[in-house]
Amino acid sequence: MEYILPLKDCHSHFTELVGGKAMGLGSLLRQELPVPSGFAVSTHAYREFVEVTGLDRAIQMNLRGADTIDEQRRVSERIRGLFEESKLQDSLLAELTEAYMQLSPHGMQPVAVRSSSVSEDAAEASFAGEHDTYLWIEGPDAVAKNVLRCWSSLFTPQALSYFKQFGIRANETAMGVVVQTMVAAEAAGVMITIDPMTGDRSQISIEGSCGLGLAVVGGEVTPDRYFVDKVTLDIRSRMISPKSVAYRFDSQAGEVRRIDVPEEEQMKPCLTEEEVVAIAALGKQVERSLGTAQDIEWALGPWIDGKRDIFLLQTRPETVWRNKQAAPLASSQTSIMDRLVGNMSMPMRIV
Amino acid sequence: MTTEQPMVLHRFASPFDVETAPGAEGWQQMYPYYFLFSEENKEWEDGMLWYQDGVHHPEVLYPFDTITHECWRTALGQNNSRIFAIPPAYGIEQRIINGYLYIAAVPVSSQERMQERVEVFVRRAGDYYANWDEIFDKWKAKMVDLIEKLEALDVPHLSRLDIEEIVTERRGISSGWRLVEAYNAVIENMFTAWQYHFEMLNIGYAGFLNLFMFCKQAFPGIKDELIAQMVAGSELLFFRPDDELKRLAQLGLDLGIADKLRASRKPEEILEDLRHDPAAEKWVESLDEIWHPWFYFSNGAGFYHHHRSWIDDLTVPWAALTGYIDRLEKGESLERPKQAILDRRERLTSEYRELLATDEDRAVFDENINLARLVAPYIEDHNFYVEHWHHTVWWNKIREFGDRLVEGGFLDDREDMFFMNRWEVGQAFADMVASWASGGPSGGQKIWKSKVADRKRIFDALHDWTPLPALGPVPEEITEPFTVMLWGITTERVRSWLGLGDAVGENEIQGVPASPGTAEGRARVVLSSSDIGSIEQGEILVCPITAPSWGPVFSKVQAAVSDIGGMMSHAAIVSREYGLPAVVGTGTGTRRIKTGDMVRVDGNTGLVTILPRSTN
Repeated sequence: MEYILPLKDCHSHFTELVGGKAMGLGSLLRQELPVPSGFAVSTHAYREFVEVTGLDRAIQMNLRGADTIDEQRRVSERIRGLFEESKLQDSLLAELTEAYMQLSPHGMQPVAVRSSSVSEDAAEASFAGEHDTYLWIEGPDAVAKNVLRCWSSLFTPQALSYFKQFGIRANETAMGVVVQTMVAAEAAGVMITIDPMTGDRSQISIEGSCGLGLAVVGGEVTPDRYFVDKVTLDIRSRMISPKSVAYRFDSQAGEVRRIDVPEEEQMKPCLTEEEVVAIAALGKQVERSLGTAQDIEWALGPWIDGKRDIFLLQTRPETVWRNKQAAPLASSQTSIMDRLVGNMSMPMRIV
Repeated sequence: MTTEQPMVLHRFASPFDVETAPGAEGWQQMYPYYFLFSEENKEWEDGMLWYQDGVHHPEVLYPFDTITHECWRTALGQNNSRIFAIPPAYGIEQRIINGYLYIAAVPVSSQERMQERVEVFVRRAGDYYANWDEIFDKWKAKMVDLIEKLEALDVPHLSRLDIEEIVTERRGISSGWRLVEAYNAVIENMFTAWQYHFEMLNIGYAGFLNLFMFCKQAFPGIKDELIAQMVAGSELLFFRPDDELKRLAQLGLDLGIADKLRASRKPEEILEDLRHDPAAEKWVESLDEIWHPWFYFSNGAGFYHHHRSWIDDLTVPWAALTGYIDRLEKGESLERPKQAILDRRERLTSEYRELLATDEDRAVFDENINLARLVAPYIEDHNFYVEHWHHTVWWNKIREFGDRLVEGGFLDDREDMFFMNRWEVGQAFADMVASWASGGPSGGQKIWKSKVADRKRIFDALHDWTPLPALGPVPEEITEPFTVMLWGITTERVRSWLGLGDAVGENEIQGVPASPGTAEGRARVVLSSSDIGSIEQGEILVCPITAPSWGPVFSKVQAAVSDIGGMMSHAAIVSREYGLPAVVGTGTGTRRIKTGDMVRVDGNTGLVTILPRSTN
């Protein structure tokens, strides 16, 4: 195939070709970690698309003079409109349809269509959550349409302001897209393989809520929180919160809906203790194979035979504590007796 | 750091405002004056935070039994303050209110003094660490020697005419005076045992604390018991008596005397019969061989005269022995998972080590682990020598003095001696021996019997009083480093005493997580070692304190909950060894949980939940 790669083949040396998200998922799949099956649409497909449709020149023109926030918003709207009015080139559409049909033997497998940007780390951080993800997409035509929407999310107002600030030209950027089997999540959330408050590297911190992960990622609920010891995988503490809303697929309406959770169900933990431990164990494995602390999105599938399968939806390096220079707690040049005196003399605050 | 006048934010009741328990008027005269709050020391005493020592002395103190805490007041204190010069801390002060022991850590209050102490500490403690194993070997020899002297101590009878040997051996010293000397010697022997007890303990704890503080800094969320698990050995002396019982169970089966051992009679009677049974000869011989010292094992902490040992009452070991026979017959293995525990210790150590941020930290961690492991055997094993072996002999020896007081007409029962304090017993002997010598009358014969009767009434009244957990002002911080470790005085604890703690549910009891894992099952509330026989397989043990000799029980239960204890308490150590979930220091577990309740024990969080009773 010319435009499409199986997720498993998305190696780190292909970052330019498939984007960060696809690369992260590829590394998980090669560790045989549970990632929903899928494929990546390469940046090559994007570049060819903007060239053959002439969109590249139209974008350049529109970007000129987009200096103020208001202008950036208007320009963003215009450019995104141009994408969504277009059609994929035939050769790409054919490949995309074929790849989708492989995921979907019966033709209507719901998938998630997600942007996978190739920006550098700093940009990635400032764009976090800005690029779009489209859930519960069914059928090849709908997939094609949402690939266009993902591409257009390269030109959000925030991205335009970033281009401006760093002097990046539109033809220097590109966007990959990930298409993955949709997980009908019963519960979903994030985990960080450290304690984000203290930097404690022996802790895995998990946040989760019921339904799809949107409620947690979008900060619409106070999620349940679990702290797990990374070495023993014992739960250190848990805080169950009232989770008043959940996102679920409404099969009648054919779309994902935000649902108010009845009060008596709000305090029900979103995970069993066994699931907490299993999620943490996966986090530990991911961190070990990638070498640094990770920020991971996870989801649990529906109950089947008394259990729910766990899926990892995304992983990226944890950046806050990684970028802090780790200072030694004590110098091994000092004698153990000196350190012992220091430790003993540390007063304990009691109120 | 510490200031001269620590800021006070909260305050418990003043010790001077605590009223005498109803019906206990006159309790003060049971105890030496130096254990009482006094007008003379009021200013100092009113400025200290006092907390009830529920870890070591949760009960109303028998006047005589105050000797154990008097021993540690001096021994612990001198090693902190005068010998090893622990920089931020002097010793622990003690006072008694309404029969209960309150303690307060005495801080080193100036930066200057602390500086002066650092240099001394580094030199002296450093010397001990550098020669630790050798000093510990000598320590064991000193303890064994002390115990032998105690066993050899003769407590003479007084007869109308003194024995012939006084003359034939030209002794020049009467049995009366020998009795006075023996009493002085037995008291001295106890104090010496506690001098040894703390010789290596404070600095041993300092070595452990060093690792503890480092781990808490590196991994703020790490559970205390995991730090302990990285250090714990698998061959503690505490497990030896239990291991011997397992061996005896196997031997009983091999010799075909299992049913004789399981006969439903008192163990002492069974043993007497076996002594005349040729089929049991080898078994009895084997028991006699290990009897000393492995049956010199207290069913309690050893601190009190009523903490009897296996040699005094065979109920506990016999229940375990016959339980082991049953299990061996079913083909079960009685092996402790020693290798699994060592493997876990190594896995934990290497995984946490790997998680450290820098190589520098790993080098420091290694040094800290090595020091903690060096001192651990002393921390784990010293109790067997002092509180178990020595004190078993001592409490029996001291009863011989009770017998002399009965023989002299001073008391009706040897056990009544425990209602007199150690000075009063000394006075009684002085009186008894002098009047024996002079032939004149002794007032003591009337005085002590009536005092004891009065004190029994006071004692009952004190039992009904519930001690306040703490008294006096709460300083902003505590600088005595062992307070947290030994007494579990933590921010959370003090806050909950002040009513500032996080509320737990109506059916929940919060304790200290001591051994990881969770379990659900039927509760068995065991208030004293005599009830141990009632425990059934798979139950959850709920008890005031688990003494080491309860070890055998741990192979039957699936979790343990205790009222008292911290992360280095016996219950915690034993539970970790057996791989059982345990929650210690619940305070009220035995009062709130009833035998037969279904409970859930979470050894990771320290939460014990009483589950709703099913209706069927």
